[in-house]
Amino acid sequence: MECRETRQRIQDVIDGRLPPGEAEEVRRHLRACAPCAAEEADLARVGDLLRLWSAARVGEREPQLSALWTRVRAGIEQQGSPWYAPLLRRWFFVPAAAALAVLILLFYPSDGTRAPFHPKSFDVTVESLESDTATVALVDKGEELPRVIWVIEHGKT
Amino acid sequence: MTGNDQANLPDEDLVRGAQDGDEGAFRDLMERYKRRAYGVALGIVGDPDDAQDVVQDAFVKAYYKLKDFRFGSNFYTWFYRLLVNQAIDRWRKASRSPTVSFDDARVSGETSEPEAMVYPKTPEEMAGNRELGEGLARAIAALPEYHRTVILLREVEGLAYEEIARILDCSVGTVMSRLHYARTKLKEALKGFREG
Repeated sequence: MECRETRQRIQDVIDGRLPPGEAEEVRRHLRACAPCAAEEADLARVGDLLRLWSAARVGEREPQLSALWTRVRAGIEQQGSPWYAPLLRRWFFVPAAAALAVLILLFYPSDGTRAPFHPKSFDVTVESLESDTATVALVDKGEELPRVIWVIEHGKT
Repeated sequence: MTGNDQANLPDEDLVRGAQDGDEGAFRDLMERYKRRAYGVALGIVGDPDDAQDVVQDAFVKAYYKLKDFRFGSNFYTWFYRLLVNQAIDRWRKASRSPTVSFDDARVSGETSEPEAMVYPKTPEEMAGNRELGEGLARAIAALPEYHRTVILLREVEGLAYEEIARILDCSVGTVMSRLHYARTKLKEALKGFREG
């Protein structure tokens, strides 16, 4: 076997892809030819060094790789949730928005009229009433004349 | 269910378990392949953080696509296809075109005489040889992405040409020619080192 022919087959020898007879023929040439043997050794060394390099780099990352499941699990959960889930997670203000909506409905009823108890200030007191039906009233004292803004009749507003 | 009781089960059994909703079975598959997957991803994208993201994303994707897995092919071939595509996409998005030429990537300068060199024999020795490790990383980065992928799958993962061809959706002949090119380029880049 000539050098040219041998060199074309070195990769097949390294990767074990030659039939036994043909592989032995190549090896016989390599034993007798120093330049071809050096070429084979250099190409084989590429693989050896790549494996060592990869193992070394993986070893450096061991702590992070040990915790990989936590990250994968989080990724699975994130992908499995509905498309609007990230929005919901941001809607931490939902309770506050609901409270605000209730207040708006109280002070601005749906028929467009202002509620009679619309306050002019935050100077509001709770006062007892002498009445057969009403017991308690909220009184706005922020204006010139105090104004009843809410009457509670036997526990009902 | 996860842990030692499943450690020796073949991939197919774990895949079946995972398809039936056994999260532990999927986790065992992940534990089995995560290091090898990281090694391949790192070789393709170059950056350790990016490589870890790629591995994580590939496993998340695998979890949801596992229902489409067809028995009769290997799980790792199927998974590496996801992984490699993810890694190559990541590398392309990061616009890390190979700006390092092979002349620049030589482990030792071309002008200097080749020095006597004892090649590392263990990963620890390789980790201790910074110059060689960095030079090799530069040389890998200088390869076109598909050549890089082929040589990693062959040399690091030990996959057969036919498996690599399936993963990359190309012919065995293409695998052979890419492998030959990559080996030759890496051999030239490592020229400066001679065993002492």
